Amino acid sequence: MGAAPKTRGGGLRYDACVIGAGADGLAAAATLAKAGLKTIVVERGERPGGRLVLREFHPGFHASPFCDVLAPIPAEIFWSLDLARKGVVPSSASTSLAMWPDRSHVLRWPSPEQSLLRQAARLAEETRLRAGRDAESIPRRPLFAPAPAPAPWPGDDWLTAALTDKVAREVGDPDAAAHVMALALQGRAADPFLRGSALHLLAHGGSGLVTRGLAGALADAAREAGAEIVCNAEAIDIRQARDRVCAIGLADGSQIETRAALSTLDLKRTFLSLFHWDALPKPVARRVAAFRMAGSTARLLLALDRLPGLDAASMRAPIHVAPDPAVMAEATAAWRSGVVPQHPPLSFRIVSASDPGLAPASHAVMTATLGCIPFRLFDGAWTREKRDLLRDRALAAIESVLPGTMARIVAAELIVPPDIEEALGATDGDLWGGEIAADQMFGFRPGFDIAAPRTPLAGLYLAGPSSPAGPLATCGAGTIAARAMIADLGRPR
Amino acid sequence: MSARSYDAVVIGAGVSGLTAASYLAKAGKHVLVVEARNKLGGLSETAPLGEGFSVPIAAHALYALDPRIVKELKLARHGLKFAVRDMALVGLRPGGKHVVIARDVHATVRNIAIHSKADAEAWPRFRHELFALARALRPLWWDAAPAKPLPQAGREKLDRLGRVSAAAWLDSWFESDALKATLAFDATAGIQPFEPGSALLLLWRAAQEMCGLQGAAAVPFGGSGALASSLAAAARALGVEIQTGANAVKLLVQDDRAAGIALASGETIAAGLVLSSLSRRRTLCGLAPAGAAGLETVAALCDERKTVGQAKVLLTLNALPAFNGIAVPQDARFVVADRLDSYAAAGAAARAGRLPDELAIEFVVPSAADRALAPPGQHIVSALVRPVPFAAAAGWETMKVQLAAKVVAALEAHVSGLARHVGAAQVLSPADIADRYGVGDEGFDDIHVLSPWNSRTMTPIPGLFLCGAEPVSAISGRAGRIAAALALRAEDRR
Repeated sequence: MGAAPKTRGGGLRYDACVIGAGADGLAAAATLAKAGLKTIVVERGERPGGRLVLREFHPGFHASPFCDVLAPIPAEIFWSLDLARKGVVPSSASTSLAMWPDRSHVLRWPSPEQSLLRQAARLAEETRLRAGRDAESIPRRPLFAPAPAPAPWPGDDWLTAALTDKVAREVGDPDAAAHVMALALQGRAADPFLRGSALHLLAHGGSGLVTRGLAGALADAAREAGAEIVCNAEAIDIRQARDRVCAIGLADGSQIETRAALSTLDLKRTFLSLFHWDALPKPVARRVAAFRMAGSTARLLLALDRLPGLDAASMRAPIHVAPDPAVMAEATAAWRSGVVPQHPPLSFRIVSASDPGLAPASHAVMTATLGCIPFRLFDGAWTREKRDLLRDRALAAIESVLPGTMARIVAAELIVPPDIEEALGATDGDLWGGEIAADQMFGFRPGFDIAAPRTPLAGLYLAGPSSPAGPLATCGAGTIAARAMIADLGRPR
Repeated sequence: MSARSYDAVVIGAGVSGLTAASYLAKAGKHVLVVEARNKLGGLSETAPLGEGFSVPIAAHALYALDPRIVKELKLARHGLKFAVRDMALVGLRPGGKHVVIARDVHATVRNIAIHSKADAEAWPRFRHELFALARALRPLWWDAAPAKPLPQAGREKLDRLGRVSAAAWLDSWFESDALKATLAFDATAGIQPFEPGSALLLLWRAAQEMCGLQGAAAVPFGGSGALASSLAAAARALGVEIQTGANAVKLLVQDDRAAGIALASGETIAAGLVLSSLSRRRTLCGLAPAGAAGLETVAALCDERKTVGQAKVLLTLNALPAFNGIAVPQDARFVVADRLDSYAAAGAAARAGRLPDELAIEFVVPSAADRALAPPGQHIVSALVRPVPFAAAAGWETMKVQLAAKVVAALEAHVSGLARHVGAAQVLSPADIADRYGVGDEGFDDIHVLSPWNSRTMTPIPGLFLCGAEPVSAISGRAGRIAAALALRAEDRR
């Protein structure tokens, strides 16, 4: 018989254990601790922040390895976490640029195209609010009475719309239309002509930049509220007693006793890495297996020895390279077949123009986001040659609209979906926690017969990208799950 | 000359039109059917190709014919007899390990086990769930006014299935690409299997009944044209007048009601009820006077532009060599689709106006079961090809040659030596089919598939009904039967 596992916290029992110190986890921890629950956050990495962490990819050059843009942080969360006082400035670009070798199209805020983007943002916000209301008001499904038919979700009529149709209705100019589609599909794999692709516009992320102080500010907010954050601690096991979560097992062999757990990992990672497959109830195992995740994003981080020749406004704008819906469609078909597309959709940004601290003086950092990059290639692993091929294709695309960039490169790092899975723990490198599709959004995300963030396992809550608000707002899903947990734990047992 | 006058006039002598006319006549109405072409049958037409061959121009198998029509109109007495009652579905595979899906569950399980043990185990459960869900949906798809609403459990499942794509749904059941690619073909009518709602097509197909068998596909002796002939005989026996070569060019509207039609010859026919088997778009944008249907409706309809469709390739063979690989029944319907993912690439290519590299083909050899369709020892092949561009970048005339060559090459891969035996070939582009029959130019719409019959059959113009508006386009007659019932009910209320 093995010895009883060592218990962290001096035998104390926590009210809540949050798995993952990303934006969702930190916001959840702050909310839980504020409500007076004894909260601990366990994080696999060295620092809290998850995808908000910036990395020094070349001496002196820093960049966000995973994404340029963040889904908006809802205003109420921004203020309740007091992020403004911690130095976070809600940053959003006021311009977006689409460049073809022979012409360019500028999208300035506000503009006619904006009405569609604003409509999408409003629907995303309403969806998040609806998910929050559901989480707080619907307790458990009554045992015998049939559940009432759920009210329609705000974005229901976007479910089966094609992105091209939605855009064509509001935007006449083909260049402007291609530009809006590129904005919506940054880093993703979706055929804009297919029904259901309009959903990507709802979850399009907005234009907020990942800034240096954000991860630290969120961690501070959680700590100030009284939560404990433990880094280098990987949760590997959720233990149950009497059909309820009772402890979290860590990779170092110790365990954390807790009344409830909140996972900010995606659905598959939560259930497949934290449970034994056999221990899962059959319907849960089936649903988790059927949930579709698909990575599609690659990132290229470039250190440049001087700033590219662009005017000041364009320098800060995201620049979409030669967007064309037909090319996006063909790239998506290639992605499905596990082939690196000939012309992957590509957007880049000179991030050091917005934050000069990211690069040494008179140098620059450019980051590019590529879409339709498969996690699994049909002909085997992501070898060095294949990475080089993709890097060259991306550089050629950038060079075509911004000649001379190639000559300025000091260092380049390419990050493909398997790297994202490795670094973030996102299954298949899927940054959105599950394919954005009509049967995996809103009330069907993640699709248990119990409304998210609750799961069929008592005491386990799912925040993170696989929950309804996950892809729509930064910190949104975490806050919602925390509120649901507070409502449940505060109830007499 | 005074205008001829009828109680009802039906535009189009296809299966839908003839069915609608028969039911109206059965209710005592004086009915005229006008057909623009010199032939009956519409989409179920069987036409000669070369010396001694008869080929199905559009539909090469029947899978959705309403069994109540066969019974109520006594079609068997009017000559309808089936050569094949239950076609197997065969997915042809490059290695010769074909997927053979037959009614016999045990045989199917044994066959699927070649590809995957897990899939073989899942097959009976999948089939049971598919058939049970489909049966639960029959009231919605079979009757104008469903007697009772769907049960709660069914509604939840349907809610989900209405949004899931066929590819994702099949992925959740099976692992073998061969099996999934074969099954997904039925979810490609006007939609891609990766689009939400496409799983509904599989359900709709499974809800049908042919020859008393759920989800079967059948072929009558004489091809699907024989169905039209038996329907025409039944209609005539009920007193319906059928006039061919009469092209309806205009709908007459009086006091905001349909009042008859005008023919291309200039003749006008007065009738209080007009039933059109043309598509909603052709009826409201082409026939109805501008403004009668409401400008917004018409503008929205005319705006819809289809970019992708299906083509037909018909071949005559002076001999039919054996299929490569494991034994397959010759009277099956064969699907050639290499991978599930190839539907995505094909869709993107077709939309761009090109002929896709990997085509999805469904073909049958009607002469295998019905020897009268070809001279002794010779055969016909009828192939349905999806998706192909509606308007080709290089023009359809050159593309037709390429398409025929591609189809022959695809068949040759599974039937070695077939190419040497090809005699005549005929290719019909999507536009050919749309122009010839006045349908097929509308896209797939999930709301349309799940909406009640009223919304499909009724039009903004009182007295004008659509009798070919099936939830999913197919030879069914159901839309005709229901349009007749709704038209009679509206007439009674007046």
